Amino acid sequence: MSDDDDLVFKALADSTRRLLLDRLFERDGRTLTDLIADLDMTRFGGMKHVKILEDAGLIVSRKRGREKLHFLNPMPIRLIHDRWIDKYTEGPAGMLARLKADLEKP
Amino acid sequence: MTSAQVYQLFIKASAEDIWDSIVKPDATMKYFHGARITNSPERHVSHGPDGSVWGDGPVLEWDPPHRLVHEWRSLYDPAMAGEAPSRVTWEIEPAGPRVCRLTLTHDQLDGAPLTAASVSGAGWMFVLSGLKSVVETGTGLIP
Repeated sequence: MSDDDDLVFKALADSTRRLLLDRLFERDGRTLTDLIADLDMTRFGGMKHVKILEDAGLIVSRKRGREKLHFLNPMPIRLIHDRWIDKYTEGPAGMLARLKADLEKP
Repeated sequence: MTSAQVYQLFIKASAEDIWDSIVKPDATMKYFHGARITNSPERHVSHGPDGSVWGDGPVLEWDPPHRLVHEWRSLYDPAMAGEAPSRVTWEIEPAGPRVCRLTLTHDQLDGAPLTAASVSGAGWMFVLSGLKSVVETGTGLIP
């Protein structure tokens, strides 16, 4: 579904939103307050970013009591990956990704 | 790593077709690492391609074709087999004409840190991406 892919790429085309996903990757199931803690961001600004990430399916939220918890949903990125990086290229591509990670280590 | 993992994707199929692909062994073997998984109102049982038991536990909720909750134990690995049981919830919601939203939640993982690490990321993503392929095209990611 290419419309959905558009939403994913648009959501990822922003460093703040990528930072929010990184924070969820480190620890999932956070409230909005927790997610934007010590970031230079208003609650309203945070809600706007989270809404864009939710619309793209990159964040799934769950109600727990009165709290709304946010979870990173990696599936949209994985499905894009599966479409373009098939089994035959995964080996070399994975090797190159590891090489890059190793070389870039401080 | 927290005690819950959530995966969500859209699948172009009816809820009934998606449900069948989750509960019937002839379908699961095409995308679940070759495992033949049978889900019934009472029990979730998984057998690996060699016939060994990969998983066995009670079904906690059975509401076809929308909601299945079952216990998860990683019996395919000796170190993980000794961990406490966790819980897997499958939710299928209609999201348009012949499109459904499938949400898988694997939680209650506090007592199963090895399982949590094993199924996270590539683990469930590989299975769910394969499930989508099987339901939409009839074949899995690996021919």
